[in-house]
Amino acid sequence: MSIVIVFLMCTIQANAQKNVPNITVKNLDGSTLNMDKITKSKGVKILNFWATWCVPCINELDAISEVYEDWVDETGVELIAIATDDARTKKRIKPLVNGKDWEYKILLDENQDLQRALNITTIPHVVVIKNGRIVFRHTGYFPGAEDQLYDVVKKNAK
Amino acid sequence: MKKKLLCLSLALACSIAFAQNQNEEDKRNYGTLTGGFESIVQWYNDDPGLGKFAEDEHVRSNNYLKLDYNIGNWFAGIQVESYAPMPLLNYSPKLDDTDIAQYYAMFKNRKLEITVGYFYEQFGSGLILRGWENRPLGINNSFRGARIKYEPSNSLSFTGLYARQRDGFEVSEGEIYGFNSEIDLTNLFKLETSTLAAGFSYVGRKEDIPEQFQNTGFDELTNTFSVRLDYSGNSFYSGIEYITKSKDAIVNTQRYIENFVEPGSGFLVNFGYSQKGLGIDATLRRLENMSFFSEREASGNVFNENIMNYLPGLTKQHDYLLTNIYVYQAQPTISVPDPSLLKFGEIGGQIDIFYNFKKGTPIGGKYGTKIALNAAYWAGLRGDFNFTDRQANIDYFGFGEKYFSEYSLEVRKKWNRKWQSIFYYVNQYYNERFIVDKLGVVNSNIGVVETTYRINSKRSIRAELQHLWTPDDMKNWAGATLEFNVNPRLSFYVNDIYNYGNDNEEDQIHYYNVGGSYARGATRVAINYGRQRGGLICVGGVCRFVPESTGFTLNLTTAF
Repeated sequence: MSIVIVFLMCTIQANAQKNVPNITVKNLDGSTLNMDKITKSKGVKILNFWATWCVPCINELDAISEVYEDWVDETGVELIAIATDDARTKKRIKPLVNGKDWEYKILLDENQDLQRALNITTIPHVVVIKNGRIVFRHTGYFPGAEDQLYDVVKKNAK
Repeated sequence: MKKKLLCLSLALACSIAFAQNQNEEDKRNYGTLTGGFESIVQWYNDDPGLGKFAEDEHVRSNNYLKLDYNIGNWFAGIQVESYAPMPLLNYSPKLDDTDIAQYYAMFKNRKLEITVGYFYEQFGSGLILRGWENRPLGINNSFRGARIKYEPSNSLSFTGLYARQRDGFEVSEGEIYGFNSEIDLTNLFKLETSTLAAGFSYVGRKEDIPEQFQNTGFDELTNTFSVRLDYSGNSFYSGIEYITKSKDAIVNTQRYIENFVEPGSGFLVNFGYSQKGLGIDATLRRLENMSFFSEREASGNVFNENIMNYLPGLTKQHDYLLTNIYVYQAQPTISVPDPSLLKFGEIGGQIDIFYNFKKGTPIGGKYGTKIALNAAYWAGLRGDFNFTDRQANIDYFGFGEKYFSEYSLEVRKKWNRKWQSIFYYVNQYYNERFIVDKLGVVNSNIGVVETTYRINSKRSIRAELQHLWTPDDMKNWAGATLEFNVNPRLSFYVNDIYNYGNDNEEDQIHYYNVGGSYARGATRVAINYGRQRGGLICVGGVCRFVPESTGFTLNLTTAF
């Protein structure tokens, strides 16, 4: 079993997923949006998978929110917060985002189609894309991870 | 099993080599292969504190390998699942194999999408139909069959499907017919700063009726209809949904109740207001006999199998250990075990308020202060049941027995560049008799303080203190967590919840856990050793019962 896992890991290291699948997600007003709208535009973007009930996710988005203006000014990066809330909690997204004064673009992946297509099992999960290609991924949030994330953004924004 | 996996990973390696070449050449397109792998291995040991591990197999594992292939407009994939030598504690005994659990092929272009094989689907908010996967809960209610989605224009979308539902490594007896339409009315009404959308769905479930219950007033085919209207303006939004279900036999704890046939209905209203720094949201819901299974006799099964729709408990989802002991679950079912326990459905609602005290104000301080308030109230539908002629009379807007209430307040405060805190208070009323069929009610108060200290730009410490006060059930609990984040990739934690108030001294147990995780790219490895509290484990308002256990857990997830 362990040999198989190690073997799998090796093959995996060799080939990381490069593209974001063209899955349909929703805007906050309920209208649909295909992910290629986002991946076909140039520049560096952060896709942040979160949910209203996930405390570390909120911590991360709160932390980035404090420095987000500087990030945008310096690198032109755009953060897209993709909520994976289902019907139980999705109604909380809009008041929470406004209550927190976040400036991010918010999308909704209600039945987790995009999350599944990117094989994300745990949130928070960030995916950094440059000109539509995945250049960085990270699972989980601890204080300070936003600095590491910004280093990646700066490197790719050059 | 090993052989199968090895073959699979070899095949994977070969195809990945292909994909690599293709990247370099960029002339021929062999398509792309992506996937994910997750493995959870648990080693259960005998614990003098909890007693001997009385089940078979001390070492168990759940493994999931998902592969997706895409070339142009064509997509295909499989999910291999392996429960070896047995699934983890309290997963369905139907998950006892290593095999291809799901497969699909799909064609998709701008207007049309055709899928055959297994697929996930949700109509509207899921009240009428939802197929989904949640591995920690052991839920995989996907559908196997065929589905067509058609979008003739930006404002119209239609879905039609025929399927049976996944049930372990098999599929359900019942057949499912579904149709869904979403109509964007914004342009029709020439709205400029707001949107208006309507939805209509039909779901039918057809299943043979056992001989002794034939001709007792219900059909093989049970029909459900849903109509929805959603409005979203600049700061105000609202939505409404109504569902009906045709007459069907009442089945309690997987057994038909003779001559008891009832229709069902559901009603959901939501509205909210939000502007910068303030958000308010309110939801009301009434459910009468709305549980819906792909096999009638699955009603009341403890593994959440064969559930066709999604009826979550509409309360705040908590993320702390002691706030998740008394969790409300939706009560959509008609159940009449005895005259003192009559349940016809539920009615209630919840309200959320989010507010940000701005930087520079007295309460806001230098960094601002964020608060979140939630209040929820749920009761049974008021009604009467006549045991002799099997007749239920149910009030439409009558509140019956109180099932649950909750008030919570969360305050988030950043003190300076190094310190930040969260304060959390919850008051709960939990009717154990009606929610989990135990005796009595539980009144509880819970307080949580969480503080994070940043040592430097990479390193931090997080500490949590929790306490639950109640004169009922298992009495008081205390809990604590300490987490050391070495860097953004590596973290260690130790936590403990302690039922020190329990009247029975033997049950004053520490449920301690210690572990760590390492994450790099899309790969995460986590290990844990400790005691699992028995009871309901809930994610997203759906709960699974787990027994107490002690042991070592290894969790590996990766995507490629």
